[in-house]
Amino acid sequence: MAAVARYVLKQRLSGREKYPLVLMLEPLFRCNLSCTGCGKIQYPVSILKKNLSVEECVGASDECGAPVVSIAGGEPLLHPQIAEIARALVARNRFVYLCTNALLLERKLDEFQPDKHLSFSVHMDGPRAEHDLSVFREGVYDVAAKAIAAAVKRGFRVTTNTTLFEGADPARMRRFFDEMMELGVEGMMISPGYSYEKAPDQEHFLRRERSHKLFARMLEDPKRSWRFNQSPLFLQFLMGKRDFECTPWGNPTFNIFGWQRPCYLLQDGYARSFRELIEETEWPKYGRKSGNPKCQDCMVHCGFEPSAVRATFDSPRAMGETALAMMTGRL
Amino acid sequence: MSDPRLSELVERAFAYRGYVTVLRRDGSELVGYLYDRGPAHVDLFDETAAKRTRLAREEIEDIRFTGDDPVRKSQEIWERRKGTLEPRDAPAYGLWGEARPLLLVVALEHELRQISGALGLRRRGATARGRAFGREVVALAVGIGGGAARAVSAEEPRMVISCGFCGALDPRLETGDLVLATSVRDEGGDQIEAPSASLETARRALSGLRVFEGQILCTTSVAATPAEKLALGSSGAIALDMETHPIARAAGHAGIPWLAVRAVIDPASSTLPSFVVEPQRGYVAPALLHALSGPRRAMEIVRIAAQARRAGRSLREAIHRLIEAQP
Repeated sequence: MAAVARYVLKQRLSGREKYPLVLMLEPLFRCNLSCTGCGKIQYPVSILKKNLSVEECVGASDECGAPVVSIAGGEPLLHPQIAEIARALVARNRFVYLCTNALLLERKLDEFQPDKHLSFSVHMDGPRAEHDLSVFREGVYDVAAKAIAAAVKRGFRVTTNTTLFEGADPARMRRFFDEMMELGVEGMMISPGYSYEKAPDQEHFLRRERSHKLFARMLEDPKRSWRFNQSPLFLQFLMGKRDFECTPWGNPTFNIFGWQRPCYLLQDGYARSFRELIEETEWPKYGRKSGNPKCQDCMVHCGFEPSAVRATFDSPRAMGETALAMMTGRL
Repeated sequence: MSDPRLSELVERAFAYRGYVTVLRRDGSELVGYLYDRGPAHVDLFDETAAKRTRLAREEIEDIRFTGDDPVRKSQEIWERRKGTLEPRDAPAYGLWGEARPLLLVVALEHELRQISGALGLRRRGATARGRAFGREVVALAVGIGGGAARAVSAEEPRMVISCGFCGALDPRLETGDLVLATSVRDEGGDQIEAPSASLETARRALSGLRVFEGQILCTTSVAATPAEKLALGSSGAIALDMETHPIARAAGHAGIPWLAVRAVIDPASSTLPSFVVEPQRGYVAPALLHALSGPRRAMEIVRIAAQARRAGRSLREAIHRLIEAQP
C-alpha cells in the first residue's frame, strides 16, 4: 500500500498525466475451465497454445513500470514457466497478483516461495453453488477453498477475485465474505462482470443501475471483519455513492499480441510498445462520456480502481475519506 | 483506405476469432489469425502462431472466413449444455494434456531421495514436485505395494514411471544394472505389457547404459535368498519388485502410458540381511541395530550400503535421461 502511494505521489509530482498502476499481464490464453461469462479464451488452438516467455513478461513489466503486476489469462498455472515469471517479477520488487481458478494451485505450491510481493488471487464468484455455476463445473469451489487453506497454511498471501452477475443474492454474498475471511484470505476484490461480446452467456451481465443496487445492498453496513483489497472509493463507486470516469491506461494489458488498446476488456488493436499505447491510442474514444456503447455499463475494477486511486490523491478531503473508511471499515 | 467493401471485411476479420484466408492481388493466399489492423495494413499470426506478418491493405483482394469460429463454437456448447455443469472429476488440466506432469512412483523415501536428487527437486515429505529438464514432474513415495491408484487419480499425469530398486532373478544381472520392464506380472499370473511407444522412447534414452529388458515379477514379500530368487526366476522374469504391477494397473485403468525402470540392488546370488525381509518405513535404524549385532553382520551392512550407492547412481542417471527424453 505504502509503496503504491509513494509511486502515485511520484508520478503526480513529476506531472505525468497517464501513468499505469497495474500491469495486466496475460502470458497465455488457454484455460482449464470454460466460465460462462468469460470472453478471453475463444481463440484457435495455435493461439491458445502460445505462451509469453519469461523475458517477454519481464520486459513488459520493465517497459511499463507499474508497481503492481496482475498475472491473468487464461489460467496462468498452465504456463510451463509461471513460477519463473513470478520469481523474476518479485525480484524486481513488483507486487505480483497471480490470478488463478486454483484447480492446480495446491499441486503447484511447491514451485513458489512465500514472499510479501507475491499473492495468489483466487477466482471465487460467490458461494459454492454460484461459483460452480459460474465456472460451469461441479466441485470447483471446494477445490479452490482447499487450495486457499493450503496456501495460507504454508505462508502464502492469498486474496480472492469475485465477479458478479445478474441474479447474485446480496445476503448470500455477505455470508460468502464471512467464509473467505474464515479461510484466511487477506483481502477480497469484487467487481461486476464485463459484458464480453465473445462470452457464451450474454444474458446475465449486470447493467449499471442493477450493479449499483446489488453492491449497495451487499456492502451496506459492512462487517468490520471483512477486508477488501480495493480502494474504499471504488467500493463506494460500485454502490452508486460516487461517480468516476474510466481510466483505461491505469491497468494496461500486455499479451501475445502486444499492448492491448485501450484496456484489459476491450480489444481495439495492439501497440508495439507501451509508449506507443499511451501516446497513440485515441483515448477520447473510450469511457462512458465518449458515448462508446461498449463502455456504458462497464464498472470493472481494471478501469475504475485507478480512477478511485487517482481521486484519493486529488484532494485532502478524498484522502481523509479514504483513510477514514480504511480505519472504520465504513463505506 | 478507399474501398468500403475491403474496410468492412478487415473489420469483420479483426473481430473474428478464427483463421481467415487473405487473397492477395498477386493471386497468392495467406492463412492466419488477423489480430490487428491499421489505416494501411493488417497484422496476422500464421497458422502455427509462430510468425507475424504485416500486410499492406493495398495488397489485399479479398478475405475469406475459412477457419472455425471459436466464439460460435463455445456459445453452441454452452447452449447445448445449459444447466448441466461439467462433472466434478473433469480433468484439472482441461484440454491441455501436455501441461500434465510426468509421475514418478517409488515405494520408499530412500528411493525418492535418489529421484529428487537426479531431478534437482526439493522434497516435501513423500513428495517432490517441480520442473526438471523443462518438464513438469511429480515424484511420490507411495509405500510398498499400494497408493499408486490414488496417486494416478490425484495427479492426472501424462505418463507414469515406476522406478526405484529391484532384486535380480536373472544371474546375468549385477548390482547397478538397469531393468527396463517389457511387461510386469503379479504372483497370481496377471500380466500387463508395457506400451510399446514408451518402451521405444526409453530404449533410446538409456542407450549406452547396462540395461536388461524383460519381465518384472511383482511380489508381495521380499525374496531374500538365492534359493528363493532361483525359484521365482523359473517363471522367466528377470527381476522382482513390489510396486510395478499396481502402478501399471492404475495407469492402464486411467488410460495413461507407463514405464518401469529399476536399478538392481541385490544380484540373484546374494542374500539380503534379515531386517529387509519385513517392509519398513525406514531402514537406517534397523541397519544400525543389525550392524551392532556382530562383525559379520556389520560387513553385510557395509556391502548392502555399497550396493545401494551403486544402484542409486544408475537410477539417477536413468531418470535424468528418461525425463529429458519425454516429449
